Amino acid sequence: MAKDHVVIIGNGPAANEAAIALRERAPELRVTIVGREHVRQYKPHFLPALIAGKITEHDLFVRPIESYSQAGIKLRLGQEVVDVDFDTRRVILAHKEVLRFDGLIIATGGKPRIPEPFLVFQDVMMTLKTLADARVWIEKLARVDSVLIVGGDLTSVAFAKALVSMGKTVKLMVDEHGFWPLHLGDETRQEVAQRLASSGMELVACRKLKGLARVSADEIRVETDCGRYTVGAVGAFFGLVPDVKFLARSGLYIERGIIVDESLMTHYDGVYAAGDCAQVYHPALRDYWVSIGYRNAENLGRIAALNLIGGKVCAETPPESIFHVEGVKVPTSWWAEI
Amino acid sequence: MREKSSYLDKTLNSEREVIRNVVYSTDPADFSYMAANVPCQAACPAWTNVPAYIRCLYEGRFDRSYEINRIVNVLPGVLGRICSRPCETKCRHGERELGQPVNICHIKRAASDFKEPGHVYLEQLFAPLGKSVTVVGAGPAGLAAAHDLAVFGFDVELLEALETPGGMLAYGIPEFRLPRDVLKAEIDSILRLGVTLRTGVKVGEDVAVDELLKSRHAVLLAAGCYAARQLDVPGEDLPGVLSGLRFVMDVNSGRAPMLGKRVLVLGAGFTAFDCARLALRLGADDVAICIRGTEEDLRVTQDEIHEAKREGVHIRSLMVSTRIVGRDRVEGVEFLRTRIEGTRPDGRRKVVPVDGSDFCVPTDSVIVAVGQGPEPIPAPGEKDKRNVLKGDPTTFRTSVPNLYVAGDFMTGPTTVIESIAGGRRAAERIAEDLTGRKFREWAVRIHDTGVNDRQREWDFIPRQEMPTVLPAIERFQSPQPEVEIGYSPEPAHEESKRCYLCYLHYEIDIDACIYCRYCIDVAPRDCIKLVREVVLDESGAVKRLVETTAWEEVNAVVIDNERCIRCGACLRVCPVDCISVSKVELVQRALETGRE
Repeated sequence: MAKDHVVIIGNGPAANEAAIALRERAPELRVTIVGREHVRQYKPHFLPALIAGKITEHDLFVRPIESYSQAGIKLRLGQEVVDVDFDTRRVILAHKEVLRFDGLIIATGGKPRIPEPFLVFQDVMMTLKTLADARVWIEKLARVDSVLIVGGDLTSVAFAKALVSMGKTVKLMVDEHGFWPLHLGDETRQEVAQRLASSGMELVACRKLKGLARVSADEIRVETDCGRYTVGAVGAFFGLVPDVKFLARSGLYIERGIIVDESLMTHYDGVYAAGDCAQVYHPALRDYWVSIGYRNAENLGRIAALNLIGGKVCAETPPESIFHVEGVKVPTSWWAEI
Repeated sequence: MREKSSYLDKTLNSEREVIRNVVYSTDPADFSYMAANVPCQAACPAWTNVPAYIRCLYEGRFDRSYEINRIVNVLPGVLGRICSRPCETKCRHGERELGQPVNICHIKRAASDFKEPGHVYLEQLFAPLGKSVTVVGAGPAGLAAAHDLAVFGFDVELLEALETPGGMLAYGIPEFRLPRDVLKAEIDSILRLGVTLRTGVKVGEDVAVDELLKSRHAVLLAAGCYAARQLDVPGEDLPGVLSGLRFVMDVNSGRAPMLGKRVLVLGAGFTAFDCARLALRLGADDVAICIRGTEEDLRVTQDEIHEAKREGVHIRSLMVSTRIVGRDRVEGVEFLRTRIEGTRPDGRRKVVPVDGSDFCVPTDSVIVAVGQGPEPIPAPGEKDKRNVLKGDPTTFRTSVPNLYVAGDFMTGPTTVIESIAGGRRAAERIAEDLTGRKFREWAVRIHDTGVNDRQREWDFIPRQEMPTVLPAIERFQSPQPEVEIGYSPEPAHEESKRCYLCYLHYEIDIDACIYCRYCIDVAPRDCIKLVREVVLDESGAVKRLVETTAWEEVNAVVIDNERCIRCGACLRVCPVDCISVSKVELVQRALETGRE
């Protein structure tokens, strides 16, 4: 693939690790990262600490911006891919520019998941996935003292603790969607809930969220099957879903994520997917698997890059129990929802 | 397009005196042009003139917009709600880099919603013929056939085995999707032509086909598909396993069966979705549709998937059932994971089970919605292997003189619009066979027009989504409301502006063109081309443009109407007015006295 152009869609851990691996192993390639956000790679798991004021934005960034030009990696930030034409091997950007590619790694990661029944409340719910989201939270928390967290995924635990450390009142509504994608049995759920309560959070016991209505800019009325109350902000924490909707008409095989083989290759030659957006059938698990977490994403990004340039590396089997929620060990897979 | 003057004299009829410069062409080249350049109309099995009715709605002519639909589709208000929308999958606005297709279906509904209350469609009736036809089955195909036969002047009797007419529309589609007053109004507009409806008459039991053939000049069997297919897996006969079609029909008849709290629906079509959404309305807590492939393989619209999920339906992908398990009643379903393995010859994706990936999903009820087929009707004539009467797909004739078949009964399950189109074609064929006359024909209607008020910025209007009852929990209240509320006038108008109006044909007069290339400079995409050669197909229509970048090889500047988005920019900038616009429509016209 001498002098060939590899385009990497995404600017998270999988994408950056893929770019670095390509640069190291195949210096003759042209490598371009296309990222939707306007900032270089950062560590999203530090966003709760940023919101709590424990670190600055500068502390989030993984590497200096100059390192990309020094490494010969072209970084296109603030540019959104809206489609990919695999027949002509072109990436189509929102501003109508077209990038031709010889090799492609899709590493768009995940985006906040809002279950369809709750989409109607989307306008009054806030999410926390990006630096831009964190900035909105910082602005909001300067004005409000109470936050309701609906859902309760893994990010929310760190976020809720950050809020408690700021002296905010945190209500946690752990309904049937709680701790997705983990599937907690009643006993485990209770144990987790008790530990969260002992951390200073108020657990709201109800099964269904029936309504959210904005009363004023900083006041939201909440209606559940167990009563009504008012909070300053509502956070939606239902986990992430692969951010692949823009590929819906591209011809790629997509279920929840982009379906790839164990080498992370799609059914198009020279096209790979890695990180939270890739879905692989894993014989050891006897099921499909989507990686979760920063380190998994980095690992898969590197594997996709190595295979793109001729390697034969298989994605590793994830450990059976990879999550600890408040000290409770929870076996999981992305598919626990069903 | 062909030169109009060459066949203007020989094809014009009396309309020439009413509208100047109008040509009706039956030249195959013009039909080829229509198929390639007005893709929405070509994709519609009934060939509905989509751009024309959208334009009428834009102009606020709601009655006319409805009527343009009604010419070829006897149930516009119904189809505006439940059509499978083949037109939208071909809409040019949905091409890559152009955005999303126009919401054609919901514009159709808007025309129906906004027409004058009490609006009456004036039919182009032919004189009575003194001949009689019985149509068996009052579903979409039977209704369409009965309507057209009545228009042609036949004495039409319509027999229906169930208690009310409508077929699958009345019994196979839930009311939250299709209110029955809408269906009734459009059926009434068919019956008022003098069609005699007799319900509760099961042909083959209450009356024999032979008897009908003796007393009528022709009989058309359009009895639909009411035999549910089975999974053919062990355990399918356990209590708690229901047929999807029977389930929906029972609910629609007021005899809803008992369901457990957990329901698995096996199937990938509209019936599967109807079952799942009805199960939630009957009190089930946890409802999932299990499919072999992924959501992309579902045979329903994106809106349907979205609304079902909104109500709480889960879609579980890449799994195939192998066994239904339980002691005295169903307790679970065993599945294998599947994977996608290329494409099948019919273009659909090939999905295969993954060995050793078995797992079991516990459940209280299983609804099997994997399709249906026709139920045999005792009748003379050649049968297929399922003992169903065979018919010719072109002539609709069976091996028995004057006995015809149409609709899903002949083809197997299709869409409502396909059934309507099939019913109409069968009616035409019966009429021609019984009279030796042709009552109507398809033609390409061409007339000059100017550039209209369509603006380039309209191309960037976002697709106006259909408003629905929200939050979804309100949909489960009694009486259960129609989920789709319908457009209000403003979004309907906005959506109508998005249509490119592909029935407009832009053309450069090569003799007048000065090759300034201004038009190419202003074109929003590569729709105007410098060509060396225009390659025609067998019919004489443009097949391919051979482009060139060498100026000395350029023989013409040509507008590629398959790429053109009818923005009018070229026409406005042309310094010598060598670009013309004509309106080209595929229309069905009555031959006033019938042609021998």
